[in-house]
Amino acid sequence: MKCLELMDVSYRYEGSKDYVLKKISASFEAGKVYAIVGESGAGKSTLLSLLSGLDSCKEGTILYNGKNLQEIDRDEYRSKNVGVIFQNYNLLLNSTAVYNITLSMKISGDMASKEQAYALLKNVGIDRETTDRKILKLSGGEQQRVGIARALAHNPDVIIADEPTGNLDEKTEAEILEIFTHLAQEDGKCVIIVTHSDNVSSVGDVVYRIAGGKISTIG
Amino acid sequence: MYLFTNAIKNLGRNKGRNMLIAVITLAIIISTVVTLTINNAAARVVDDIRLDLGSRVSVRQDFIEMRQMGLDGRRDAQHIPLTDFVAFSESEFLRHTTFSADVLAWSDSLFAIDDPNLGEGTRVLDDGSVMNEETLRLVTISDPELLPDFGTLREIVDGRMFDGINEAVISEALAAHNDISVGDTIEIIGAYATDRMFSLTVVGIYSDATDEYLNPWITMFGLFPALNRRNEIIASFDTLLASSWETNAGLDIDFHYFLSNPDYLEAFEVEVRAMGLPFTYNVDINRAAFERVTGPLAGISSAAFTFMVVVLVLGAITLGLMSYMAVRERKYEVGVLRAMGLERGRVAIGIISEAVMIAAVCLVIGLGVGSAVAQPIANGMLSGRVAEAEAVENPGANRALFAGGQMQIGDGTAGYVPVSEIQLNLGVDIILQIIIITLGLAALTSIIGVVIITQYEPLIILRERT
Ligand SMILES: Nc1ncnc2c1ncn2[C@@H]1O[C@H](COP(=O)(O)OP(=O)(O)O)[C@@H](O)[C@H]1O
Ligand SMILES: [Mg+2]
Repeated sequence: MKCLELMDVSYRYEGSKDYVLKKISASFEAGKVYAIVGESGAGKSTLLSLLSGLDSCKEGTILYNGKNLQEIDRDEYRSKNVGVIFQNYNLLLNSTAVYNITLSMKISGDMASKEQAYALLKNVGIDRETTDRKILKLSGGEQQRVGIARALAHNPDVIIADEPTGNLDEKTEAEILEIFTHLAQEDGKCVIIVTHSDNVSSVGDVVYRIAGGKISTIG
Repeated sequence: MYLFTNAIKNLGRNKGRNMLIAVITLAIIISTVVTLTINNAAARVVDDIRLDLGSRVSVRQDFIEMRQMGLDGRRDAQHIPLTDFVAFSESEFLRHTTFSADVLAWSDSLFAIDDPNLGEGTRVLDDGSVMNEETLRLVTISDPELLPDFGTLREIVDGRMFDGINEAVISEALAAHNDISVGDTIEIIGAYATDRMFSLTVVGIYSDATDEYLNPWITMFGLFPALNRRNEIIASFDTLLASSWETNAGLDIDFHYFLSNPDYLEAFEVEVRAMGLPFTYNVDINRAAFERVTGPLAGISSAAFTFMVVVLVLGAITLGLMSYMAVRERKYEVGVLRAMGLERGRVAIGIISEAVMIAAVCLVIGLGVGSAVAQPIANGMLSGRVAEAEAVENPGANRALFAGGQMQIGDGTAGYVPVSEIQLNLGVDIILQIIIITLGLAALTSIIGVVIITQYEPLIILRERT
């Protein structure tokens, strides 16, 4: 089942003549892991911000479950349907790890339980002692894990990750990838991961490459 | 709900900045509380005075007009029946009237203190008639409660206050001077109307701590017993009415007609003129006295108000700037929240409720502190202003003006000056006003920042950071 679908999407940043994305079409299904690869500056992050509803595309159409993202409430889409793991984490720095998670639950309208948040954080390798520390006092790797946990906190259909394992050691990377494949295969989520890492792209059911503003499938 | 708990958490996360905002807000609230309580109390006092002094009409002889008449050789009616003055009090424009009239008197059986002639003095008037030298003063008043010094400088020490007709009270000094005790009868004669005899029963004797002479210059040209306050014989106005005194000739009258509304003055004057009050009488509210009494209060009100406006404007600007800076500082936080799917409106609610919560805490503290310091501040301001007002006042002009055989005592401000203290209290209306001002200010200043911040798309905010 098609969860997200791009149809002839073109995008250029405001004030720039050059298109970063040129009439690209692609589809993403529930239950699968997608890897997106490409050189630095190719437009991977740009594509993710369109898919996650943080930015809107004026040319072409993006459908979520058949509905045009241009037309639906993108605040609600972000809070309920999609979980984003940012390249630079984007966590609330003055709050604790666990608060970042529970707040995400609350914004989506879910019942927030600290226990659930602790469990989520434990799954991504954050121990109980670290959960109550402010984000500011966590290492890059720890922040990345909290970012992953937050993306999953409100149980979204789509999980979008920008270089999610860039700051993790190989052992943790393997654990995180395990989680992603589990989410796709067991829970039927649509997982989209931008990556440089071959380890990561190897778990992708589909691997897209972006180059020259175009998108193509590998393998 | 989580918006509010988040707001509370945020207050703790930014202690320094929030403390600063709280201090400014507190300053605004305290100065507003002080100003409003002072203004309110001042307005209330001015209202009271307006109802009293401001609506108190005096009907008095115009000495300048009378002097001119004398120079012109006119002989217009100068005196009208006493009963006419009483009839004026029936006017529908009045709510209340007080009468007092003093009679300069003489007696050959009751010797006045400071009397050099021991009751033997006589004087030949211009028209050839002989007049006894006045040595005593019969003070009559419609209500003994209105006697200014009783309860403060004067105290009945023997017997009681006068009640019925032909009852009188005298000072201890006068009683001792003549060996009079309660129950004795005294006989006095009007100095300018020698056929008028008062036979009064002394029902009370009072201690007297007032100054013998109101102004030292009175004794400069020799002793003047009728102006010595120990020589007052105090009785009811009805005693005067019951005597055969027909007009106000030889009387120092002080009739106060209280208008039911200060604006009725003109209508009242028209009415009493129609009833026969000659133009040698002035019908007027003592504006100078009214202003002298209310002036300090008005001064304080406007000073306090100016101060409040300055504090409010400066405070609002500071709070606005701080809110703007705070929000710029929090741009990233807002970006994250927006990225997490929190709508603009909810972000705004969160930030505004933080400001309102600070304001609410400040309100509680500010109302307490403000109401505690308002009284001492008001007293401080008042003592300065009253001193100022009293310095302007000419000390001689106030009392004991002797002219045309008539004595004018006081200008009606006795009992008002000095208004050295006004009682302040924090009414519900003031609390309400302050709550509205504070919450309004908090909301207004936070809205500035909120409007700016929620304009941004989350992606732009987050991108700026990297
Ligand atoms: N805010 C922006 N304004 C203008 N150009 C931008 C902006 N952000 C990114 N770009 C440009 O768009 C292109 C794609 O960037 P990006 O999507 O971040 O690439 P990637 O994530 O694949 O490294 C790059 O050439 C980059 O310089
Ligand atoms: Mg990128």
